[in-house]
Amino acid sequence: MRLEGKRALVTGGRQGIGRAIVEAFLREGAEVVTCGRGGDPGDLPEGCGWVTADVSDPAQAAELVEACGALDVLVNNAGVQVEKTVVDSTDPDWELVIGANCRGVFNTCRAAIPVMRDGGAIVNIGSISGQQADPSMALYNASKAFVHGLTRSIAVDHGPKIRCNAICPGWINTGMLEAGFELAGDPAAARRDAIARHPVRRFGEPKDIAAMAVWLASDEAEFASGQLFTIDGGMTAASPLNPGMF
Amino acid sequence: MGRLAGKVALVTGGRGGIGRAICARFETEGAVVYAADLSEAGSLAAPDGASRFVRVDVSDEDSVTATMAMVAEEQGRLDVLVNAAGIEIEKTIEETSLGEWNRSFAVNVTGTFLTSKHALPLMRKAAEDGVSASIINFGSYDGFIADPGLAAYCATKGAVHALTRAMACDHGPEGIRVNAICPGYIDTPMLQSFFTGDGSGGGGKSIGELQQAVRDVHPLRTYGTPEDIANLVTWLASDEARYASGQLWVLDGGLSAQVQQMRI
Repeated sequence: MRLEGKRALVTGGRQGIGRAIVEAFLREGAEVVTCGRGGDPGDLPEGCGWVTADVSDPAQAAELVEACGALDVLVNNAGVQVEKTVVDSTDPDWELVIGANCRGVFNTCRAAIPVMRDGGAIVNIGSISGQQADPSMALYNASKAFVHGLTRSIAVDHGPKIRCNAICPGWINTGMLEAGFELAGDPAAARRDAIARHPVRRFGEPKDIAAMAVWLASDEAEFASGQLFTIDGGMTAASPLNPGMF
Repeated sequence: MGRLAGKVALVTGGRGGIGRAICARFETEGAVVYAADLSEAGSLAAPDGASRFVRVDVSDEDSVTATMAMVAEEQGRLDVLVNAAGIEIEKTIEETSLGEWNRSFAVNVTGTFLTSKHALPLMRKAAEDGVSASIINFGSYDGFIADPGLAAYCATKGAVHALTRAMACDHGPEGIRVNAICPGYIDTPMLQSFFTGDGSGGGGKSIGELQQAVRDVHPLRTYGTPEDIANLVTWLASDEARYASGQLWVLDGGLSAQVQQMRI
């Protein structure tokens, strides 16, 4: 029960990584509110709160934070991806990706920081793609670099009251991962190639990311701030000539 | 509690400032713990606790292989190896003798190589059981940015960071994860010695003033404790970290997140 007595807002908790974080936080004794652009999905664990909100809208983000009351933990997980290069990206693509991934994170942090309890923790979901470019994911990659930079600023400006860190997931088994493989000429070969590039020889599961989020949200992480915590099965430690490729 | 239940762990530097906090925490979490160090007393008063002390010089291959043979006989496996043994010499390269340079590498880098190399067979035994075996090396925030007068130390920590990645890539498929923890300023005898030695940049300040100046430059307005490091090492040793490998884990109170400047 590492989060007993803590109240947490986890954005984008309907599915995938966000859902795993919601469930892990509840198991660890936290009070949890989550949100998304749609209605209450109806299958959230008992006791978990839901707010319908689009965090890219400053007013909705502010109302969402106010509805939560005094927070101990904010997890900015809500995010989208669009699989396009710069040249193919449209203005609506910009609004969507930058809106959700950048403005949304900024909006919730701006609203929450003044009212979070002392010793509060912000956990932003960045990505390995914020440091190395996934092909044809221009806006997404850039948006995650934004999240990493904002994470450091929040840590520097709002410590010691607030700690702020980012998790950089690698390739995690979610809808986003499947969509990425569908881009390839031979999706099955692309998957085999991808597995071979992971020293741990598997993709991640949402619960792998949730485990990191629990630690970062807990008092065990009191000295952790301003850093990126990469959970990727060793992939980014490896060169492209990883054994198993040739 | 019990997050390391059923695991066998060896902690080099296990009687040092940080090492003993790791051993104590590992015991609380249910691990069988070997505290490996040059001397039982280490750098502080003798600790309480159930860690088995084993004398080892990590720079001496015979000493390392004898230690691993003993663990093999007593436990038949090793789940967690923490390479916390390290020394720090406060000198520029000009002031550092070749002997001192070599000694720094012998303990900090070669020690990590020797213990890891000779632990692999025992860790493979653990991995055969489906366990996610875990090696945690000690890098440092000094592997990223240079504190004054710590030339050999900074170099050894950069080496540990690169070795960590190589080990993670080579041994990941065997079920062995490898990470490096990179502490910032942690309240240990090593840090207090840095305050009192020539490398402190003293300028006539008292120790108390130096300590406060160091706290003030941290976004979290404190330096860390050995328990803070033990908290992250415990997480990395646990099954929750099964997907975490090949990374450098900086724990520094926000120190390296900022462009350095005085608040005037």
